[in-house]
Amino acid sequence: MKKFFGNKWAIAVFTFPALLLFIVLVFYPIVQVFFRSFFDWNGLSTGTFIGFDNYARLFTDKTFWISNKNGLIFATVITVFQMTMATVLALAVSNSKLFGRNFFRVVYFIPVVLSVTVVSQLWLSIYNADTGLLNKFFEAIGSDFSQNWLTDRNKAIYAIAFVNAWQWMGYQFALILAGVKSIPTSYYEAAKIDGANAIQAHTKVTLPLLAETYKFCLVISVTGGIKAFTEMFIMTGGGPGNSTYTLTYMMYSAAFRGGEFGYGLTAAAVLVLECLVAILVINRIFKTENAAEEA
Amino acid sequence: MLSTLTRKKHRRPFSPGNSIFTLFLWFYGFVSLYPLIWMLFYSFKNNDEIFVSNPFGFPTVLRIENYIKAWSQYNVPQYFLNSMIVAVGTVAITIVFALMFAYATSRMRWKGKGFARTFIALGMFIPVQAVLIPVARVVQDLGLMGTHWALILPYAAFNLAFSSMVFYGFFLGIPVELEEAACIDGANIFQAFYHIIVPTVKPAIATLIIFTFLNSWNEFILANVLVIDQNLKTLPLGILFFQGQFTTDWGAMGATMVIASLPTILVYTLFSNQVEKAMTIGGAVKG
Repeated sequence: MKKFFGNKWAIAVFTFPALLLFIVLVFYPIVQVFFRSFFDWNGLSTGTFIGFDNYARLFTDKTFWISNKNGLIFATVITVFQMTMATVLALAVSNSKLFGRNFFRVVYFIPVVLSVTVVSQLWLSIYNADTGLLNKFFEAIGSDFSQNWLTDRNKAIYAIAFVNAWQWMGYQFALILAGVKSIPTSYYEAAKIDGANAIQAHTKVTLPLLAETYKFCLVISVTGGIKAFTEMFIMTGGGPGNSTYTLTYMMYSAAFRGGEFGYGLTAAAVLVLECLVAILVINRIFKTENAAEEA
Repeated sequence: MLSTLTRKKHRRPFSPGNSIFTLFLWFYGFVSLYPLIWMLFYSFKNNDEIFVSNPFGFPTVLRIENYIKAWSQYNVPQYFLNSMIVAVGTVAITIVFALMFAYATSRMRWKGKGFARTFIALGMFIPVQAVLIPVARVVQDLGLMGTHWALILPYAAFNLAFSSMVFYGFFLGIPVELEEAACIDGANIFQAFYHIIVPTVKPAIATLIIFTFLNSWNEFILANVLVIDQNLKTLPLGILFFQGQFTTDWGAMGATMVIASLPTILVYTLFSNQVEKAMTIGGAVKG
């Protein structure tokens, strides 16, 4: 058996394709991101090494701070909206006595399977100030709440964040629902015997047991906010002005529009680092909470 | 008796007796679904109906011509075909490479297998958007620009980490006796892998096929940079084509959006449990 499982030729055949593909198209590029972020590079020539100049420039670039602020707003909006809605809806749908629960399950999830471009294009028409569904709706009910959703410097980022929150709520809904289903019913019976009502049962039993699920939800929402790109690319083009820029958008426009690839990669490098820091911090928070509970 | 027992097993302590709460469930269902229904409606309307006479409701006349127009004038069949080729290619390469890699790192015995596994798993923490520029460079240097490989290979590379992790988990759970029996019967490791091991993880394969297909079909960020050739555009890019150029023809744009969404919605309605499992399996791996 040792020979069977230690077959060197087989190991090479099995691992080589995956490793090659991964090294060429994921690992080498990520190394390039950090390496080239120290260069003044137009994407064509070999470029010149300029040390931390790109970073110094980035940290004094107003657009960089706008991008970070937008990432933060985006992350906050989607985290709050998705986690609250997903929790409430998943707990409701987990109740087998709920009328039409399968219908709800499918309806809440369905935006997830659509392409982000379809969703962005769709909401672009919904938000349209003159002809859009939303303003038409406010007109129809006689409200004067109609406004320029995507052309207002201060509001546009919230309107865009809502689109993402709307589309991906179903994902966290499914995650939490799967988590709730994995909790043994005996726990709830015990809670009931102890005199807990439905809401108490959930806050004392469900939520603590789903810590891992919530950790994951938090990671995808927060990193999703930092990485946001497609929605602004399609719906506002980063505008009005640069009011809906994000780090990815900054990288994209520096490289593919401004021809400053080195500078774009500096934004990309910061993007990767921010995502890693977010993941580490979230893991740390959940770790200390677990420790506190065990103590 | 039995039925009450099984019912009790599934019961969760949340009483929707509260009618405001039930109303809320319906309200969010409406918020979630109505934009899609609205899209479906307007794909059958003309501009006048969309903007003036009937923006909210069911189309007065089903204007199939929007679909005919989208299909015959706006290159939609080409986009559709490209999306299909890219999705099938991505799924095939991802699944085959991930199965082999996960097998070698889970069941075979060699130095450095833990390192190899962790190395590939790193891929889950690398955002696609961050490596956009170097990936575009590599694809260009390899001479893949202008072919479907420009999308298939990067998509497969980025799906590899996740699929390998899932297969790894499944392979660990298989008893070693399976290969022992195969070995005694005179099979070599390739035969054992193909005839014995792969069939045991069929459910996981099905789940990952759906997951990878959805990812590839809907992908935009890489495609936006890696496809320049009009004839290689996938549907998510094709939809953008309407922006500016054809804003006058909303009905046809709606029709294109419906066509682009149909395959994934169909996959979801046919395999809704599988799809949800496919999406939520990430929670177990990444968490």
